[in-house]
This record gives sequence, structure tokens and C-alpha cells, in this order.
Amino acid sequence: MNRSMIQASVTMGQIQHKLDVIGHNLANTNTPGYKSRQADFSSLLFQQIDNLSDEGIDEAANQEAAPYRLTPDGIRSGSGARLAHTNIDLSQGNLKQTDRALDVALLEDNQLFQLQVATENGLETNYTRSGNFYLNPLNNGQMLLTNADGLPVLGEDGQPIQFADDMDGMQIREDGAILVNRNGVEAVEAQLGIVEAVRPRMLEAAGNNRFRLTDNADIVGEGIIANADGQVQSGTLETSNVDISKQMTDMLMAQRAYQFSARSISTSDQMMGLISQLRS
Amino acid sequence: MLRGFYTAASGMMANQRMQETLSNNLSNAYTPGFKSDQGTMRAFPELLIQQMGQTSVPTSNGGLNLPTQKQIGSLHTGVYMQETVPKFSQGDLRETGIETDLALLNGNLPDENGFLFFNVQNEAGELRYTRNGNFTVDGQGFLTTNQGYYVLDDAGNPIQTGGMEFDVSDNGTVNVNGANIPLGISYTPNSFDLVKGGNGLYAPGENAVPLVDARLGQGINFNIQQGFVERSNVDPAQAMTEMMNTYRSFELNQRVLKAYDQSMQKTVTEIARLG
Repeated sequence: MNRSMIQASVTMGQIQHKLDVIGHNLANTNTPGYKSRQADFSSLLFQQIDNLSDEGIDEAANQEAAPYRLTPDGIRSGSGARLAHTNIDLSQGNLKQTDRALDVALLEDNQLFQLQVATENGLETNYTRSGNFYLNPLNNGQMLLTNADGLPVLGEDGQPIQFADDMDGMQIREDGAILVNRNGVEAVEAQLGIVEAVRPRMLEAAGNNRFRLTDNADIVGEGIIANADGQVQSGTLETSNVDISKQMTDMLMAQRAYQFSARSISTSDQMMGLISQLRS
Repeated sequence: MLRGFYTAASGMMANQRMQETLSNNLSNAYTPGFKSDQGTMRAFPELLIQQMGQTSVPTSNGGLNLPTQKQIGSLHTGVYMQETVPKFSQGDLRETGIETDLALLNGNLPDENGFLFFNVQNEAGELRYTRNGNFTVDGQGFLTTNQGYYVLDDAGNPIQTGGMEFDVSDNGTVNVNGANIPLGISYTPNSFDLVKGGNGLYAPGENAVPLVDARLGQGINFNIQQGFVERSNVDPAQAMTEMMNTYRSFELNQRVLKAYDQSMQKTVTEIARLG
């Protein structure tokens, strides 16, 4: 089959993936703490084709015919483009005032809250930027601090945060300490566990606006996640950092790239048609 | 004999290969650091056509036939795509705002065909060159290409950045926790010596002039921009135009081939028809 058709169709498939990423970003424009992703291309394999070599041709005649060959022997034919990687852009989103005591926004890049998730392999720590927390009553007269999906938020000691439920009010200080008011007396009863993603490329999306470490991350070593002294602001939510105009521009670009490849296929197809008409 | 049969076919094949090159360029119109390829066509070696005849010289015991050869002219028996020449020119910059994206900008270069590259190490541990500065930091904290190949410093060692937070100055020095690591930037006086490989990597060709450290060369200037990538230098409008051109050339060769076929048909069906 015509190689250019394979190249173009491979590339179209990859461009589709880029459109998927853009679509996902646009869909999450209003998700608190969502971090946009960016996809970049890389060229695919090059194939060395040993076409007619210059050896064997009389040197003098060769000099006359092609005196200035610029590149090494053979020709190199590429096989299209592929999506290289999808980078998370962990930059800060805008802050939105909500005046709700349990809405907390992180104020520095790369910092994350920790959540406890029960999986088939036991408990796992997930990470999120989304700070819309809730208190869920437990059966034993305790209240559990959870995220919107009911997953326990981890404290500085790596344990879920619980309070006795006879409180009059609570507020979250700038350093992440949780002040609980009981009978007019305020006391720090817990501390939010805030970590910093040192190498965010080792985080994979776990759905529901959460990240988890990739399976090979523990082999790779430490230093991917570090404890951080975070700065938080309560009564505030971090909005998504998706830049709609940039996403739309990227989408237009991807669509045109798709069209170029499609046009290349149809041109190649017409060339194939001409070949088939040879024997009519 | 019909000499042009295979000539026309070779024209079709060469144009098809040209189409492959153009299609690959269009596919990589948005690949950072990609350099577009230009196909060059070349005629097959020239043949001299000679008329073979004989003249008869009268002698006493009959005639003597002497062979004579008269040169008619030259004929090229077709065309092939001789080489794909990458167009080494600076691509435009696109801002990404991601700190691991680096764009290499050529300054003044002493040679006309000179070009600058980042040094990277491929999976076999060999030194390779790339213009694709869409880098990332791997799980161990090394600066790598998007394929996971180490980006090298000027001493040929991988660069440990720890995390995503580092600054790269204009002259290509990575500042990590107070340490200054100069990025490995290579300069080639003749960029056409390099062979394109996959993933945007270039390897030195067989008879390549060795690449030198760009910082040690005379009169070589460059600039590194952090948070930018260099865009592909493919011009889609030009590529589409060339594609149309290639298509028509292919079509013309097909017409010629069909004309030859019709001549052949006459040979088969009309010559030596009796009655």
C-alpha cells in the first residue's frame, strides 16, 4: 500500500488523541482545581531507503550528473507524527471567593491535598488540588473530613482527619491548621497534610480530579512527592486553570492538521486511482 | 522498441515517493523542532543511442559489408528521487509556559550550512542531536526528551534537575539549587551531514564533519528560551502546492504510459493482420 496513506492515517489517529485532550480540558473549565493538560507531537520513525547508490556509476559521469549531493547515501522517509506526551500544567488557577468555611484553596504551584482511597490492593493515597471539603458523620459520634466524593482527607500524620461532633464551628488557618470551636474555646485539632509534587510527570490521573502515583513510581525512587508547608486560604476555591482561548486555538490547529493529513490521503488515493486506470 | 515505457513508470514511482515526503512533512507540521524535507529528483544515467548500420564496399569477389555506427543523441531512461534534503532553518517560537520546554535559537553562525543542536543520549547510550526542546523530567529527576532520552550537559552527563523548578538562562545554563550546569549544545559546520532518525533525533552520517561544542567554537552565538518550543518549519501552503504539482506530474506520466500502451496495442492487433 501507498506509504503516504499509512503515514497520514497514523497521524490522523494521533491528532484525534490531541483533540481528546483538548476536549477534556474544555469540559473541565469549571471543575475546581482542575489542571489542564497539553499534548505535543514528536516525529515517528524514519526509514532508510537505499535507492540507487552512486557507487558503480562512473565517477566522472557522476560528478557531471550530480556534483553536489548534499546528504549521506540513501533517502530517509518518515512515517508521520505521534503524540509524544501529555504534560500537566500545574500552574495556579484563579481564586474564587465562596465564603464557605470548608472550601480551601492552595496558593502555591505544584502543591496537592492528599486523599485516602480504598482499592483492591489496600489503601492508597491520591492527590488532588480541589479543596471543596465536607464533614461526614460517622457512627461513633465522630465527624470525618472528606472531599466531595466522600473520600477521607489525610492530615499531616497521614491519617484521616476526625473530630468529635459536638463542635460549635471550625475554621482553617492559613498554614492548614484546623481550628475547632467548642464552647467558645478554639483549639487546633488537626492539620491538613499538604504535599508538593516535585516530579509531576510521575502522577497519573485517577479520575474524579484525583492523581495517583504511577505503578512504577515506587521503583523509581523517592523525591516524587515531598511534604510541604503549604499556604492555604479558606472560604476560597481554586478554579480550573484551563485557558479557553488557548484551547480553542489549539483545537483549530489540530483540526487543520487533521485536514492536511486527510487531503494527503485523498491525493494519494487519486494517485492509486490513476494506477488502476492504467489497465482499463 | 518503445524505450519510454519504463521511463514513464519511473516518473510515476519517483512522484509517489515525493508524495510520501510531502505527506510526512504535513504530518509533522505541528511537531516541535521538526525540519521539513525537500525531495530532489535526478535523471537515471544518460545513455547514448547509436544507429547501427552497414555500408557495403564493392570488391572483386562480391561485396564487403562494413558495420557503421552513427550517434543519434542521448537519452535518459527515467527519473528517481535521489535524496531528501532537510531544510535547516530556524522555526518560529511558540510559548507554552512550561518550564521544561526549551527552544534553541540560532544566533550568528560562521558557516552557511552550520546549525546548532541539543545533545541527547539515545537508548543505546549513543550521542544524538535534536532540535525538539519539548523536554520533561523523569521519575529520577533527570531532564529527558519526551521519549525519555537523557538531555546531556556539556560534559556528556545527564542533567539532574530534581524537580520541575529550575531556571535556564539565555546562554543555556541550567541553574539547579545554586549549581550551574551548561546544557550540551553542538554545532555542525555542515548540517547536511546529519541523518534523520526517529523521534526527532539526528545522527552524524558516515563521513560527517565532527560536531563541536558550540561554546568553544569561534563566532557561534545562540540563545535558549525557557518556556518556549521551536515550531516545525514546515510551510503547509508550500507543501500543499508541491503536492498538487506532484499529483499532476504523476498524472502526466500515467498519460504517457497509457499512450505507450496504445502504441503497443496497435503493434499487437494491427501489424500483421491479414485480410
